[in-house]
Amino acid sequence: MLELTDVHTYYGNIRALRGITLSVKAGEIVTLIGANGAGKTTTLRTIIGSVRPRRGEVSFKTQRLDRLPTDRIVRLGIAQSPEGRHIFPRMTVLENLELGAFVRRDRDAIAPDLERVFTLFPRLRERLTQKGGTLSGGEQQMLAIGRALMARPTLLLLDEPSMGLSPILVDAIFQIVRDINGQGTTILLVEQNARMALRVAHRGYVIQTGRIVLHDAATELLRSDLVRKTYLGEK
Amino acid sequence: MTTPAGRVLGWAVLVAAIVLYPFADRALGLHTVHAVSDGMIYVLLALGLNIVVGYAGLLDLGYAAFFAIGAYSMGLLNSPVLGSPLYGHPWSFWLCIWMAAAVSALLGVIIGAPTLRVRGDYLAIITLGFGEIIPVAIRNLGDITIEIGGWRPIERLNLTGGENGVNPVGRPYLPGVPFETDPVPWYFLILVIGAASLWAMNRLRDSRLGRAWMAIREDETAADCTGVNPISTKLLAFALGAWFSGFAGSVYAAKLQAITPGAFEFQVSIMLLCMVVLGGAGSLKGVILGAMLITVFDRVVLTQTTAFVRSVGRATGVPVLAAIDLTLWRWFFFGLGLVLVMLLRPQGLAGRRLRPVAIPDDADTAAVIESAPAVRADAIPPWLRERARHAAPDTAPAPILEVQGVTKRFGGVTAVNDVDLVIPRGGIVSLIGPNGAGKTTFFNVVTGLLRPDAGRIVFEGTSLVGLRPNAIVTRGIARTFQSIRLFPQLSALDNVLVGQHCRLHATVIGGVFRPRAVVVEEARARERARDLLAFVGLAGNEGDDARNLSYGDQRRLEIARALASEPRLLLLDEPSAGMNPRETDTLTELIGLLRRELALSILLIEHHMEVVMGISDRIVVLDYGIRIAEGNPKEIQRHPKVIEAYLGTGYEQDVNA
Repeated sequence: MLELTDVHTYYGNIRALRGITLSVKAGEIVTLIGANGAGKTTTLRTIIGSVRPRRGEVSFKTQRLDRLPTDRIVRLGIAQSPEGRHIFPRMTVLENLELGAFVRRDRDAIAPDLERVFTLFPRLRERLTQKGGTLSGGEQQMLAIGRALMARPTLLLLDEPSMGLSPILVDAIFQIVRDINGQGTTILLVEQNARMALRVAHRGYVIQTGRIVLHDAATELLRSDLVRKTYLGEK
Repeated sequence: MTTPAGRVLGWAVLVAAIVLYPFADRALGLHTVHAVSDGMIYVLLALGLNIVVGYAGLLDLGYAAFFAIGAYSMGLLNSPVLGSPLYGHPWSFWLCIWMAAAVSALLGVIIGAPTLRVRGDYLAIITLGFGEIIPVAIRNLGDITIEIGGWRPIERLNLTGGENGVNPVGRPYLPGVPFETDPVPWYFLILVIGAASLWAMNRLRDSRLGRAWMAIREDETAADCTGVNPISTKLLAFALGAWFSGFAGSVYAAKLQAITPGAFEFQVSIMLLCMVVLGGAGSLKGVILGAMLITVFDRVVLTQTTAFVRSVGRATGVPVLAAIDLTLWRWFFFGLGLVLVMLLRPQGLAGRRLRPVAIPDDADTAAVIESAPAVRADAIPPWLRERARHAAPDTAPAPILEVQGVTKRFGGVTAVNDVDLVIPRGGIVSLIGPNGAGKTTFFNVVTGLLRPDAGRIVFEGTSLVGLRPNAIVTRGIARTFQSIRLFPQLSALDNVLVGQHCRLHATVIGGVFRPRAVVVEEARARERARDLLAFVGLAGNEGDDARNLSYGDQRRLEIARALASEPRLLLLDEPSAGMNPRETDTLTELIGLLRRELALSILLIEHHMEVVMGISDRIVVLDYGIRIAEGNPKEIQRHPKVIEAYLGTGYEQDVNA
């Protein structure tokens, strides 16, 4: 469904991605794990079109993405819940969620989807008329994920969804990731919490300084020495 | 890279060119000295505006008001029209210029004061208002009569000369120097004033105050929470910006011999802003370049091109060209220039280009993974250890922080509801709870960003309620932020230096003249900042902009900045958010080390239970703003309410797994 072939992305003269090749098949959860600054977020930004690759190819189904503007990419059915919770701070929670559905044409299906988001995050229903900027950090995280879901994407890019969430919600969020996937959404997941990510994912890629160094089924990666030592913190 | 010798040579050539220019101009019969001198007055004005806009980041759309105040101070003090007793004395210009600067600075403070609570767009609109008020006030204060009943205490008082302005204004006097007839002495007078001002500004920028200005520009809230008083810092920006416009205004008045309110209209403010933005806000070289380009273009290029086009028009017989006046198009050209600069070089002609730092192209992957450096007790700067020993008397069994019944409401929502919390000296207390439980709000109340609606907050025996964040930092409480709030465009070293702001003493005058005490203090501050950077593992990054550091490095830099204020209580808001398990381990070690070695008391908000359960003495749990549990880690792990609201049943399985 999603293919990255030898993607090189630069910030100015800095090589952030040095030849990323990865694929996500329809119906999968694929996770990308790696240290801070390894290029995980840059990979997502390259897919969604926030930065352009200098070399290589990004394709989704039959479409080339690497020359398309972001809004067109979103229209193709890719949504992102960005790291750092880029919500609209002066709009209410409801308005934020409605904007997530901005590109959709099936107006009738929006109300049930809103209901689905509130079932996933009851806290958002409580805060419905509050301005996004007045939410706590964790609530903003929920809003960002909820907003991405409102686009009803076929491919969902999740950038550190568990960041800043309480333990009970971290459990919940990974259950939600499973549920969303069970309902037919393909997911590319970037996470610092590698253990949890690998538990929900089908396959995983390990990224180091802009290169994929390891790629396997998630259960295999959980057993791999490199992953255990560097990303799971086992001694 | 230029060699030192090359640099000296370059400076020598520049100085020689500046000194020889008026004589060359005379020899060649160009008659541009007059225009260039006027240009230099605008350079000085633009440099003054640069303090407000470029350094402190306060958009001022009415700066010409200060120019007017400077010019009118000179005019009123040194003109026979208004019967000034100073007029006609040979020393009066030299005295009046200082008085004009002082009056401008004073009015800068008065005008600045009501704008201090507003930011961004609102501030710009208020300054726009002041820019309009001043010329109108000057126009209408030329004929004042006050009548109360039949009594007229003031009758037809001419305070400002009204629409006619002030004419003449006394010239400066120096024995043997022909200020009356020759533009060259003016050139040198303005050059000396300008060079001295530039020297002072250059030193201010690199002083304790200059760093504070830039910290305010980058992030006012973070600056406040790092110990910089935003009120006095912004007032000083207005005052010093106005001080230099006072110089410029008084020289302008004396040179022109006459001033009218029309010379200080809104357009002048905009032109000055154009000069700053064109050259590059915050860069002295850029502002000089921008101001020189605009005035020379305006005064020389446009008039000479007009004359040239007209002669071409006459020669070719095209009447449109023969009658053209390009000077009427000046605003068109300024506008066009500004549009082009913003499109092509938004940082200004000489502004610093924002670019990411280069990481080594073939960075060894293993090395990068290992880069979260181990924390070492022997890397703690000795002075910090020393400070901690003095600050923590063993005779103080009382808790360092006592919070009682603190409540904070936002509209109908009670974010923090009657919460008690005690931190023993040298203790680590964690604050946990579901998202939106009010943990960060509690931090903001303790650090003074929010005022509690009820309750007591006592730190080392004194109440903190009602104190501003910077005052609380000065008392010994430092914090970090949930979403990192560094000063992104300042270097790592400068970020830590701002952290020391409240422990340094250099004043404005000290910053400019740098007496020995200030030089020693500054050198020590830099050494300490480097020690702290080395301690958190950023020894090689001191010159990097904070925004170019990796996420984990930014987190560590924020801790170094907090430590720089020599706190006795440290508040950490989700320090391990976004860190991988290895980095989280290092962080846990660091927190433990700070407590063990520096006797630092710590209040921690954290969702990583390995961190919380591993190092906390006590844990306080909030839910919907209410304290639902308090106890040691063992008690909290088993507390049914905590498991239900926060930990979840999955947590226990994880721990036992």
